[in-house]
Amino acid sequence: MNKKNKSILDESKDIQLAIELIQLGARLQLLESETSLSRDRLVKLYKELRGVSPPKGMLPFSTDWFLTWQPNIHSSLFLGIYKQLEQNTPLEGIQLILKAYKLYLEQLPPEEGEEPVLSLTRAWTLMRFMSSEMLVTAKCKTCKGEFVAQPLMTRQYICGLCDVPSRAGKTQKVIDANQAEKQSKSSS
Amino acid sequence: MNTDEILSEIRDANLQYLLLAQQMIRQDLPTAIYRLGISEKVAQLISSLTTSQTMKLAANVTMLTRFRFDDSTILGMLTHDNKESFQSKAHAAILLASQPVEEFA
Repeated sequence: MNKKNKSILDESKDIQLAIELIQLGARLQLLESETSLSRDRLVKLYKELRGVSPPKGMLPFSTDWFLTWQPNIHSSLFLGIYKQLEQNTPLEGIQLILKAYKLYLEQLPPEEGEEPVLSLTRAWTLMRFMSSEMLVTAKCKTCKGEFVAQPLMTRQYICGLCDVPSRAGKTQKVIDANQAEKQSKSSS
Repeated sequence: MNTDEILSEIRDANLQYLLLAQQMIRQDLPTAIYRLGISEKVAQLISSLTTSQTMKLAANVTMLTRFRFDDSTILGMLTHDNKESFQSKAHAAILLASQPVEEFA
């Protein structure tokens, strides 16, 4: 877009959008691609809102993350909401991603003081992977739900919730929490 | 609960559902479409009802809403005790999002 011809109204809409995106944790690459504000202005806005400079460096460019157990569940829920809104509402583009992301956060809110499992930037990256078909959706043959999957791996697909791997969700933090709970029970 | 009481509870539930749906649709249409699982046209119809139309519709003694999980295997899976609450919650939400919305035939 020719920046000199940009109307004040359009610019104000872009700023509003950028504010919303930054508040939801968007990285600079997302902001640059979805608004027509200059990098300098975005950096400034980011600092004003968050009090720190935006994180530098490249976005993670790998589909692997979306295929691991817990991230896959979160991504699949986001994608399901996205597709339902895409089919049934007039929303599109970044507004569609934003609305789907907010509804996802409502369904699986992060624990207090924790970051959401699926960040807004990751959700946005997911949609780019989907549109370039680096990731696709697969229908679970047991529950018929739709899940994020690798291309060519969609036949006879069984989702991570119908067939929960034995170590699923057993991060060190969960193990510690369970042990602490047991100890407090046995001591009381 | 006798039959009269059940019928009156059904009318109450119908009215509550319609009023809540109308409020949700007027507040934020896309969100309401997702949460209620209905198409945009159905949503517009519900929100355009006048008060007397809403009352008339709610006065039905059959439920206006339908259970959204209609597969017994899936329902069994979702309510299974062995699952952690995160898993059954996430699973139910994914399955509901994978379903088509209710539309006019």
